[in-house]
Amino acid sequence: MTGETGDAARLAEPTGEPRPAPDRDSTGQARTARTDARGRRTDQAGQTGDPPPEPAPLARHVLALADSKRLLGIRYSDWLLGSPSIETGIAASSMAQDEWGHARLLYSMLRDFGFDPFEVEHERPADRYYSLPGLDGEFEDWAALVAAVVVVDGALETALESLGAGNFGLARSRVPKMLAEEEHHRHFGAAWFGRLASAGGEAAERLRAGVAALLPSTLAGLLPGDALYESLVRDGHVWPEDRVRERYEERVGGVLAAAGVRIEDAAAERDDWDPARRRGPGAPAEEAVERARGDRNRALFVE
Amino acid sequence: MSKDAPGVSFGEETYEVFARKKRGDALKHVGCVDAPGDALARVYAWKTYDEENWFEMCVVPRRAIVRAGPGKGTSARGEPPSVREDGAAEPAAGRRP
Repeated sequence: MTGETGDAARLAEPTGEPRPAPDRDSTGQARTARTDARGRRTDQAGQTGDPPPEPAPLARHVLALADSKRLLGIRYSDWLLGSPSIETGIAASSMAQDEWGHARLLYSMLRDFGFDPFEVEHERPADRYYSLPGLDGEFEDWAALVAAVVVVDGALETALESLGAGNFGLARSRVPKMLAEEEHHRHFGAAWFGRLASAGGEAAERLRAGVAALLPSTLAGLLPGDALYESLVRDGHVWPEDRVRERYEERVGGVLAAAGVRIEDAAAERDDWDPARRRGPGAPAEEAVERARGDRNRALFVE
Repeated sequence: MSKDAPGVSFGEETYEVFARKKRGDALKHVGCVDAPGDALARVYAWKTYDEENWFEMCVVPRRAIVRAGPGKGTSARGEPPSVREDGAAEPAAGRRP
């Protein structure tokens, strides 16, 4: 049930054109745009229009943040049961809810660019997701999850802070609450990271492996170094990359050092960077995307 | 998937959790959490007892609580005292009161 229609398809293709969000019908459901098999909008007579222009860079940036937070929430939720203690599982559950809430707020911002957030959130297949590659698969052990809290959650927090300090009004008003909730994630990550690092042995080894697996691709997402990001900086939507990097290093550098990782030496992995999807190659696991879209919930939905 | 944290000691202690809903309210005991240190105790408490929009929340290691009055033996509800006379923590019976 992943019909690739309307906005969802256009966000996946550089030729997509945002259109006004659809009206709600009498039942409150969004009217679906008329689209052809590739998701391109057609007029009411079914004619395919001219190839539309590219979506706004800011829309792509916001979607990348939203998708990453949605997937990070999925990865936290993988550990609701089976965490090292009940308290830890409850914290993972709460952080998952935080991430999903943040994702929902970010998706809703896409309405400002003419997209229907419902379609974007619920109707894209896995290869149309913009999420960070480090979140594509499950974390194999607790140490990998802890590494993600520091490396990935820390990067998303930094990117949010940058967006919230820019001139995008919706972000300026909504990001502060998200950052307040992120503070607890940061403390959770730092405390667990320090604990595993100080334990040494296999725990510290797995922690370092988790960081090594996540950091290069996460840095690429945070610091893409491409024309789209430069345009966001030029338009005052985000911080320049050197400032973002500095902030990220402030945020996670001391934590990572406990495991012998020098953030200053870490380099972004930008091979096969896809500027449209704001990430490297690959896609999140289909099972995770089914959960992200809420396929099962919607299958049970009764009108 | 292995959901363990190899090589890590889980020597945790119990923290009592106190919170107030608004400025000026008395701190109320709302429950307890087990944590390996203050940093995680704060996070666990905030994430566990999040049903209210608390103005303030504090955690106190149970071992730091000094009993000032009687309380030997069982309470009126038949529960054992939460703090031993030597100040050591009793095992936590549950996360929520």
